[in-house]
Amino acid sequence: MSTSPAPLPIRLLAQWRTFAPSWMILAGLAVMPLLLSSPNFIRLLFVTLLWITTSVAWNLLGGFAGQISFGFAVFYGIGAYTTALSMNAGVNPFIAFLVSAITAAAASLLVGLPTFRLRGPYFAIATIGISEAVRVVMTNLSFTGGASGYRIVEHRAFRQLDHYYTALVLASIAVAFSVFISRTRFGLGLNAIRQDEDAAAGLGVNPYAYKLGAHALAAALTGMVGGVFSRYAAFIHPQGVFGFQTSVHILLMPVIGGIATIWGPVLGGVVFGIVEEQIIASFPEIHLFIYGSMLILIILVEPGGILGAFRKLLRRIHGRR
Amino acid sequence: MADAKPKPPILEVERLTKYFGGLAAVKDVSFEVREGQIFGFIGPNGAGKTTLFSIIAGALKPSSGKVRSRGRDITALKPFQLVQAGIARTHQIVRPFREMTVLENVKLASHFGRKNVTSDSAAEEHAMQILTWFGMETFAQKSASILSVGLQKRLEITRAMATEPDLLLCDEICGGLTHVETAAMLDWLRRIRDRGTTVMYVEHDVKAITAVCDRILVLNYGRKLSEGAPDHIQQDPAVIEAYLGHPPGRRQEG
Amino acid sequence: MTLIEFVNLLASALLLAGIYAVMSVGMTVIYGVMKIVNLAHAGFMMLGAYLALELFERFRIDPILAALLVFPVMFVVGRVLHWLLVRRLPTSDQPTLASLLLMFGLWLVLQNLGYFIWGNADRSIYTSHTLSLLRFGAVTISTVRLVVFGAAVACMVALHLILNHTWFGRSVRALIQNRYAGQIVGVDDQKTASITFGLGIGFAGLAGALLASLYSFNPDFGRPFLIRAFVIIVLGGLESVSGVAIGAFVLAFVETFGILFVPAGYQLALSYGLLVVVLIFLPGGVAALTAKVRRLA
Repeated sequence: MSTSPAPLPIRLLAQWRTFAPSWMILAGLAVMPLLLSSPNFIRLLFVTLLWITTSVAWNLLGGFAGQISFGFAVFYGIGAYTTALSMNAGVNPFIAFLVSAITAAAASLLVGLPTFRLRGPYFAIATIGISEAVRVVMTNLSFTGGASGYRIVEHRAFRQLDHYYTALVLASIAVAFSVFISRTRFGLGLNAIRQDEDAAAGLGVNPYAYKLGAHALAAALTGMVGGVFSRYAAFIHPQGVFGFQTSVHILLMPVIGGIATIWGPVLGGVVFGIVEEQIIASFPEIHLFIYGSMLILIILVEPGGILGAFRKLLRRIHGRR
Repeated sequence: MADAKPKPPILEVERLTKYFGGLAAVKDVSFEVREGQIFGFIGPNGAGKTTLFSIIAGALKPSSGKVRSRGRDITALKPFQLVQAGIARTHQIVRPFREMTVLENVKLASHFGRKNVTSDSAAEEHAMQILTWFGMETFAQKSASILSVGLQKRLEITRAMATEPDLLLCDEICGGLTHVETAAMLDWLRRIRDRGTTVMYVEHDVKAITAVCDRILVLNYGRKLSEGAPDHIQQDPAVIEAYLGHPPGRRQEG
Repeated sequence: MTLIEFVNLLASALLLAGIYAVMSVGMTVIYGVMKIVNLAHAGFMMLGAYLALELFERFRIDPILAALLVFPVMFVVGRVLHWLLVRRLPTSDQPTLASLLLMFGLWLVLQNLGYFIWGNADRSIYTSHTLSLLRFGAVTISTVRLVVFGAAVACMVALHLILNHTWFGRSVRALIQNRYAGQIVGVDDQKTASITFGLGIGFAGLAGALLASLYSFNPDFGRPFLIRAFVIIVLGGLESVSGVAIGAFVLAFVETFGILFVPAGYQLALSYGLLVVVLIFLPGGVAALTAKVRRLA
């Protein structure tokens, strides 16, 4: 089979063809705002990149490890507030993002530690519980302004491109993580846990530690997104960043794109980033209906999402030849 | 029993008891498995085989009693820790990872088994070696979901062996197999033993167990009924009565 | 705290427990038989509340009677949804990713339906006895709460009788214990699942309708109650109807007396805290605890 046991980085380099399209997309995204400098367009790209990052992050846990969370708004919100508080205390924004990552990862243990040990639906249940509980607490917490929100004061001129490139780097990191994990022992272990936790444990995988690890990693990325968003928005409030909507969005994107794949969540993020703008703008009164029906349809018709449907189509075309 | 031991046994079960609700599924069972044996346990339906197996495999906690391996207490170890301690298991109903290839299934075990291979290519090499040993190399790139039942059972054992265990726990690996397949499977057990892995084997089928085992434990109603070499077991009046429901006198096989 | 205050709090905890029990029991039966966590539970409670409101406002039907009428309507809704969607899910003895996402999607659709039909203003049901009080010595009790409690307990008793004394109940209990064995002895699991789903949704609607007499509501109504229902069924061991009664009482007790120590805004955090404590120290719920006690005895 494998003739030369070359180390992973070298083998990745050898597979540059596989990644050529991704490098081209990345380069395109890097020069895009210089060519089309409409602030509104850059804002759309910025938001889409943030959505892609959360989508990829959710997929690390929900896709690879198969642990469905309905509460990623907790990490998004904690990240947003941590960055806001740190920046107002005079911390450099990029260090603030890292602090957000760490805080969010620590918060992930609050849900993971008691529930991942157990079999059954406990984790999913607890994620809904904690996101509600945290939102209510944040609405009542006085030092962050409670329900009326919190303002970030940055003593620097606002430069949209700074924010855009931060988001681009973050999204690239997330995708690189996703690619890397899917090719390592860690990813193989998560994959096995999703398919059959008992069988995985019987072959030496520690499901508890692996689920905790994937959860913490996903939370850290999501927390950083929250931080980047709060610096951009300069004003956050619990109903927004901790809102139920946020959790729904983060969960919806990877499911639409294709769960447990690398590019599915990215695709979901792109579709969502663009379509959500339109849906919310055109039909704000039925967007929940649209989200809900999409979930139901995908689960019953094509659980592989857009990517799954696309692959099936390709297979059918090849099969006819 | 009381003779001086050069080395503590690879598996030592001491007064194991398990209650479900008020009922004892396993009561006060003790035995030892020596290195290099194929050790079997049998018993009629509901005798407590599966419960006993699950406790040893770390899937159930006993109500009382101890399980030791080479002197080390392993009663509280979880399945993944048992793998590190050199004990692997197969499942009665095969559980391949259906979305993976045969090779990936085995590679997982190479990665996470006792060798703890971290490099992807080393794990692949190791997995291929094991697959070849079991004559499965031609299926390496096939999806695990399309294998026949017989091959899925063989994959189950291959995968467990890729963790490099000293003790392999086999749960009814011949269920649903034809006579020819059963004979082949039993042959694999012998080859595994001769390769240096001790085997503990639970089976419903008395013929299969007596054909392959060096030593047999018979359970009935959760208690130890008899223990010894296959000949001894087959002659034991208590065993014959438990299986056939009448006192000895007539021939056991008919 | 004086003794009178204590007795008053105890009484209100007990009344709350009755409502909580009827609110959670629908989730328990669905989980027990089908291993599906009904994340849309809150949506059905909301529908039940609005149905009761409509019956009360349009036809002047007493809200408690309306709640009892809501039950059969929601039962039919449940069976239709089972036929349309739920039966298409792969069966499993573990809650699946697909079932979680499907029920979650259904919840979003129901919420939107609520906003679409009834708007997002807070509504409530006011009757002549909404504010009336009953006095039993030193204990003061709201009349409506007592009536609602009575209705809730009556429904729980009815469910208990159905589960223990009918053919359907036997099928349900068989499937809860062991799906395979149930099928082997001839339980029609599809039909039982369909009726169970109807029953679970019926109870969700009933609970929503009863709660509508006590609290104001909007299309987002059930969410805080969903989390309470989670805590209760986890406390009860997920599958046991009697466990639900005990879980409901524990949560009602903690919440009622928690007011003395925790500000009202943090009550939901208290529920979550209780959930975590239960998961760590009593993962099998009360059912596992009673089994343990029985063995020691």
